[in-house]
Parts: sequence; structure tokens; C-alpha cells
Amino acid sequence: MGVVVEPSPALPLVSVVVAFRSGAAHDPVGLEGLGRLTGRMLRRGAEGWSSEAIEETIDFLGGEFAADVSVSATVVHFEVIKRSLEPFLQLVSAVLCQPVFDAAELDRLKREVVAEIIESRDSDGLLCGRAFRRSVFAGHPYGRRVSGQISTLTTISRDDVVKFYKTHYTRANAHVIVSGDVDVEEGQSIAARLLEGLPAGERIDDPVAEPKPVAGRKLVFVDKPERSQVQMAIGGIGTHPADEDHIALLVANTAFGGTFTSRLMQEIRAKRGLSYGTSSRLGVDRRRESFMMHAAPKASDAPLCMQLMLDQLHEVRENGITADELAFVKKYLIRSHAFEVDTARKRAHRKLEAALFDLPEGYYETQNARIEAVTLEEANAALRKRLSEDDMVIAVVGTHAEYGKLIEEAIPRLGSVEVVPFDSE
Amino acid sequence: MHTTSISKAGGRIRKGPFAELLNELNRNQSSFAQAEHDGSIAFGPSMRIERFVFGNGLRVLVLEDHIAPVISLQTWFGVGSRHEKDGKTGIAHLFEHLMFGETETTAHGAFDRMLEEAGAETNAATYLDWTYYQMNLPKEALELAMKLEANRMATLVLREPQVASEKEVVANERRQRVDDDVDGAVSEMLYKEAFLEHGYRHPTIGWMEDILGFTTEDCVQFYKTYYSPNNATMVVVGDVEIGQVLRLVQETYGHMAPAVIPVEDVHPEPPQTEERRFTTKKPTPTHKVTLGYKSPALGDFDHAPLVILNEILFGGRSSRVHRELVQKREIASEVRGYVGSFRDPGLYDIYLSAREGHTGAELLEVLDGLLGQVCAEPITEKELDKAKGRIEFGLLQGLETANGKADQIGFYQTVLGDPGAIFDRIGVYQRVTPSDLLRVARRYLVRSARTVIEVFPDGSAIEEEDAADEMEDGEEEEVAS
Repeated sequence: MGVVVEPSPALPLVSVVVAFRSGAAHDPVGLEGLGRLTGRMLRRGAEGWSSEAIEETIDFLGGEFAADVSVSATVVHFEVIKRSLEPFLQLVSAVLCQPVFDAAELDRLKREVVAEIIESRDSDGLLCGRAFRRSVFAGHPYGRRVSGQISTLTTISRDDVVKFYKTHYTRANAHVIVSGDVDVEEGQSIAARLLEGLPAGERIDDPVAEPKPVAGRKLVFVDKPERSQVQMAIGGIGTHPADEDHIALLVANTAFGGTFTSRLMQEIRAKRGLSYGTSSRLGVDRRRESFMMHAAPKASDAPLCMQLMLDQLHEVRENGITADELAFVKKYLIRSHAFEVDTARKRAHRKLEAALFDLPEGYYETQNARIEAVTLEEANAALRKRLSEDDMVIAVVGTHAEYGKLIEEAIPRLGSVEVVPFDSE
Repeated sequence: MHTTSISKAGGRIRKGPFAELLNELNRNQSSFAQAEHDGSIAFGPSMRIERFVFGNGLRVLVLEDHIAPVISLQTWFGVGSRHEKDGKTGIAHLFEHLMFGETETTAHGAFDRMLEEAGAETNAATYLDWTYYQMNLPKEALELAMKLEANRMATLVLREPQVASEKEVVANERRQRVDDDVDGAVSEMLYKEAFLEHGYRHPTIGWMEDILGFTTEDCVQFYKTYYSPNNATMVVVGDVEIGQVLRLVQETYGHMAPAVIPVEDVHPEPPQTEERRFTTKKPTPTHKVTLGYKSPALGDFDHAPLVILNEILFGGRSSRVHRELVQKREIASEVRGYVGSFRDPGLYDIYLSAREGHTGAELLEVLDGLLGQVCAEPITEKELDKAKGRIEFGLLQGLETANGKADQIGFYQTVLGDPGAIFDRIGVYQRVTPSDLLRVARRYLVRSARTVIEVFPDGSAIEEEDAADEMEDGEEEEVAS
């Protein structure tokens, strides 16, 4: 992709993204959390800039700066009021291209991340999501926690961070998008200026193999006291956009759990009031990502809700979605496309996503036509082929002493059960 | 459209902007359906909001924005949890859910299904002062959306088993957002203890026993009382023409009669003269402390300076409290402050989460020192400029989409009666001086007018030494949205 400029004079804001094709999947074993630490260290000192001066300047100029690290990418982005663009660019160039990685700052950051990991145990939703991914992608980089573990964070050294930066923060590994209140020429110039400070480097290979399906039905129960609810996530491996039935599955899943009037919403929320929210979703990455459905019923309703969700999955695999559902969902997806391209930022990010995740050529440009072309047979065949009822992970956060047994009994053909305390996740 | 012609329509002499359009629209219409132009309000340097009022009291605000083929249609009602009585808390919020149900002409579930089929996104929110409904539409869906929105304002059908089912949904929402969430539970407790008289003490989602106790008749009464055109403001932003919007409003809302909106039985909060302190235990790994200082209403002259002071204390990594508690002393993992933006005086609430091995009392001691500083010494011009920059940036970011603009217009119209107030506030922020900050610090950061809640871990978490060994990998993704 290289450089994309998406001008829009709607607001006096300029947004810039420099994305690298490397993320937590590139963390060496035993150094999990390295990629994220590297991204977060950028703003903690650069040539001629102390950490404090960087923070002061970002705020003083009226802008924001962030480095988000996911499994497969590091996305450095900043946005600023147009009148402050030039001084902000000077700052960002230094932060992106000349970070100093001060050892004392690194130690401080590591302590901060450890505290955040402990703090995050307050969120049941987060605990459930973690348990689900750790089990669906057991032993696979997609199952890693991007922030690392407390034990791995403490072993990461300054040298590790410098090495990660030098290897991955290069021109060959980068994509740049500029959007907002700039013309194309100005945007190209911004991109060139940021890129010229980075070494040429090499494009980094993705070290990730295709994930293997889960074997059997596996329950992971995250035990947390005094829960009035049970958070549940059910699913397994989904698809990659290059799979021939990917769009068919996307369409079928939208009917199943992708809208407010989908089957899951009707059965779980509208008819029975069992959960405030429920949905099913398909992830996207460079390899096959997850399929996951979730709900959060009252604890005493959890066995019923669990049965209902498993029944719904069985029903949709067995009998498929209907012709009416297919027609509805095509209209929904094609007409709501307007909200995926209504701002310059969104248009630019679609291009970035296509480049970062190696989506097939023209993936987004042809998406509506391919949705329109999906037949009922294709949609239902994709459901049967890609979603498994026999091989799945069921992750639950709740109070095990009260509802563990009942939930186990609500899952037919359950293979294995793992119970973990909430503060071990 | 501007014209100088003078004509007679609906028994009135009309002139000025939109006279021609309104004359044509109002010809042979009932008094409820007569539209009048009520003002042209600047929205930033290059846009204008046109405000109209119909004979039945419905206010319609239109901002033409042709940058993308989408429309945001919002309907704001002047009712929120402040209007509720003890024993009936949460009805405004429950009602927000029920508004997506059956009407005299559409079956249960049809509202969302038809809109989704048209490619629309719908949502709604309830808070202390208001309730609002939003639809993000492809431009072709405006007529359908307007018909459905009008239909549910006038002909909603409330009956079992839908009411019972929706009560269960809301009860589950409460469990998720409050009962099983430390942050939500503590925030609810703070407002309950800080307000003894004013309706702001009611949790918007309602107490659990109140939610489960509502009857269908309660819902019918609430609907009849508050859901009428004269208690509503419609905001339309996006790829529309003003004439097209007014015609549709006339067709869909023009037959509705206004209701008698009851005078609010408001109970102003008496001055707080003593600090209130509470403790609670939760299954959480770390200590927390939350504070609420009594703060000015959104329309108060002091509100903008206090927002800037909060930005200096809590806005971003360079703020005073973050720097001291998170970075320098390393005793907190999270700090945040928020000045309530309410019609009546509210709370300036502060939340601090301690790192393991530290207590809320420790955090509070350091915080008190920092708050004491801003009461004792003027803020520097540099810090003030930095806070202004952050606030301006945040405001601009919120205006990127049609929906973002409609949010601001609807909110400020409903709370302050001024749909363009967001841009006035940018000007007000620019004029704030260090003297203003000293004044609001000394006026509002008063210990005798604050409420403090300390949260202690209940001991159910295992020691971190053991936990570290057992930690496993996982992605940072919440399952529930």
C-alpha cells in the first residue's frame, strides 16, 4: 500500500497513521509484551526531548499521539489541530524515528503495565475474552496477551526493546495514511518526511502458522466471587478473508448474531430477556481468526442461556438461515456500507486494514457485489463447514461454587473442564 | 432560502428567511402542523442550524451537511432520571428500551428490523436530565425513519409479556454495569450519598427492586406524561434539504396534539456543610477511592473554568494528578476526574485506583495536597494554554460525523436551550484566566462539601506472588460491548 492520502476539509484536523506489519506475534517466547512495551516507550524520550517535554508538547499543541499494538501490527497514530501541524510533525518525527529508550523510563513503564494488568481483573468482560482466546488459540501467538504477563515483562531488557525497534520500525515494514485537512501533495510530503527518518530495513515475515482447531468441547471457568451474572463466550476458529466461503460466512453470521434483530438477539434478549447484549462475531487477521458468540445472563439463568445458545448454533448449522434472512441481511450490509466510508479517516483505515492483514486484492471495493452474489446454499454450507459444534471453547466468568456444576451439566458432550481463579488471568 | 416577500398563511403575516417555504407548507394545515422559523444559529465558522417550531410544540433543528450521503436523526425528550420518584427509579431508562417495541401499526421487533433493512443504525440513551433516540441513516432512509419515529411517539403499545421481558433485560444491564462492576457500583453510591434531596441521587438505571416492580400501567402513565411533541426536540444533520425535512415532519407529526407537561417537582439540593465519608468492600484486587465535590450547573459562569481546572489536574499524562500519582510516586494505576454537565448543580467526581500495596487513604492524602496547591497558587499561563488546547481538540474530534454534530446540537438545545452552545463554549474556554481558576478552585474544592467513598478489597483475591506464576496468555478483548 505504501502511502495513502485521504483529504477532507470538513474539520481543521489532520490525522496520520504509521503502521508496521509487526505486533505481539513477533514477541520472542519468554518476552511476551515486548512489542507493546516498545510502542509505548516511543513517547517516553527521544533525541532532544525528555518524556515530560513530549507529554507537555502533545497537549500544548492540541493533539494526541498513541501507539497501539495488536497481535499482527503496531499502529502509531497522531492527530492534531491543523494550525499546529508543523510543530507537531517535528515532535512526532523525533518520537517515531529517534526514541532513546531510557532504561529508567522502561522500568517505570514495566511497573505501570503490571499495575494495569492487575487492575484489569475488575472487568469480567475482559477476563472472559482472555480466557476464550487463550483456549481457542492455545499455544498459538493469537492466544497471547498483547500486554504480556507479569513474569515475562520483568525479564524484558532495554536491549530487547532496542532490537525490536530496529528490526520492525522500518520503511519496508511500514504503511502510512494521512487524512483530514490536507491536500494530496501535502499529505505525501508529511508521509515522506516521517518515513525518511526510518531506516530502509526489510519487510518482516509473519511468523504465524494457521491455528489448529480446538479438539472437543472445552469449558474454561474463570472463578470470581460474588458474581450476580455469568459472562459467557462460545466458539472456535473462524475464517480468513481469502477463504472462498468467507463472505458467505460473513453474511450468514450477520443473520445469526450480527445485528440487533439477529436470531441470537431475538431468542436470548427479545423473547426471554436473558441478557442485555448478545451477538456472534468473526475476527479478521492474517490467519484464520475466531468465531465467538457471547451473552451475560443472570447467574441463575446461565444454564438455560448456555443451552439456548448451543441449541441456536446447532439449529443454524443443521437447518441454515432462511431465504428471508438472507435477503434481509444483504440489504442491511449493502445499505449500511455508507457508514463505513462517511469520513476520510474511515476510508483511509479500510485501505490500511486491507494492506496490514493481506486482504485479497479489492477486498473492500468488491465486498458489496460479493455479498449480493451469495446464495442461500453457499451461506448455509459455510456455516456447516466453518463453525463446529463438536470442537469448541466455552469460556465463562462466574462464581464457580454456586453455578459451576449446573453450567457443566448444561453442556452436552463436554470434554474437559478447567477452573481458574479470576486473578490468575 | 431567503426572501423579502410578505405573505399571509395560517392567519399570520410571515416574512424573513424561509417565508416562502413556510407559506407554502402551512397552507391549509391544522394549527398543530403549522411550522415557524425560530432562529438561525451559527454552528462554527461555516455552518448554520435552522430551528423551527411546529404548532404542537415540536422543535426541529436542521443542519445541512452534504459531505457524505448519510443523515443523523435524533429525538431528544426533556425527561430523565431527575424526574423520577423514590420507589419508581429507572422508569425513564426502562421506557427508553420499551420505545423499540410494538406500535398500533408495527409488530414487536418490526421497528428495528425495518430500519436495519434500510441500512440504518439505531440507539438510545438516558441520563439525569434527558432521554434521546438516535438513528444513523443512509440518506434514502429518511422518510421511513421519520415515519417510524413519529409512530412510536404517538402510538406505542405497552403490554405483557414485552414489558416483563424488557424489565429482565434492564435488570441484566444493571447487573452488568453496576452490580458486577466496581466502577459502576461505586459511582452509583457516590451520587446516592452526595445528593439527599435532588433527583440526581437516583441511579439512571434504577434500583433493582424498582426495575422489577414496574407495572405496565406505570409505563403507560409515563408515556402519556412525557412523550409528546412539546417535550421533544428533533435534530436532523446530514445530506438533507430543509424543505424536505419540514414536509416530512408535517406529514408525520403534524396531527399530534401537545400534552400538558407537569411542572417538575424539583427539590434543590441544600448546601452540604460536612464531609461525608463511606467505605465499602468489593471483590477487587486493589483499593480505590472516589470523591464528589459539589459542582456548578452547565449553564453557570463557573462551569467552563472548572472544566479547565479538571483538565489541568486530570487531562492526559502531563496533568498534575497523573504525573504525581501514576508516574512519580507510582501509587496509582488509574486516575480520572469529570465535571458533571447537568442542568442543575451536580458533582465534580474523581476516581483513583491504587496500585497493589497502596491504599485509598494514601492516594487521598497526595490528592489533597495537589488540590490544596490549586487553591493556594495561581495556575501558570502555560498550563492554562495546554488545557485549552486539549479541550478544543477534543471538541473538534467529536464533530467528525453527522451523528457527532447531532449529539452536540441536541444536548445543548435540551440542557441549555442553545443548540450552538458548543462553539460558544470554545470561546468561553479561550477567555478563562488564572484568576478564574483560582476562584473556582477555592469555591468548589471545599472539603466540607465533598463525599468520599473508599473501596477495600474483600480479600477474595489471591496474593500476587502466586498469581504471577499462574498467569496465562490471552488477548485484550472484552466479550461484551
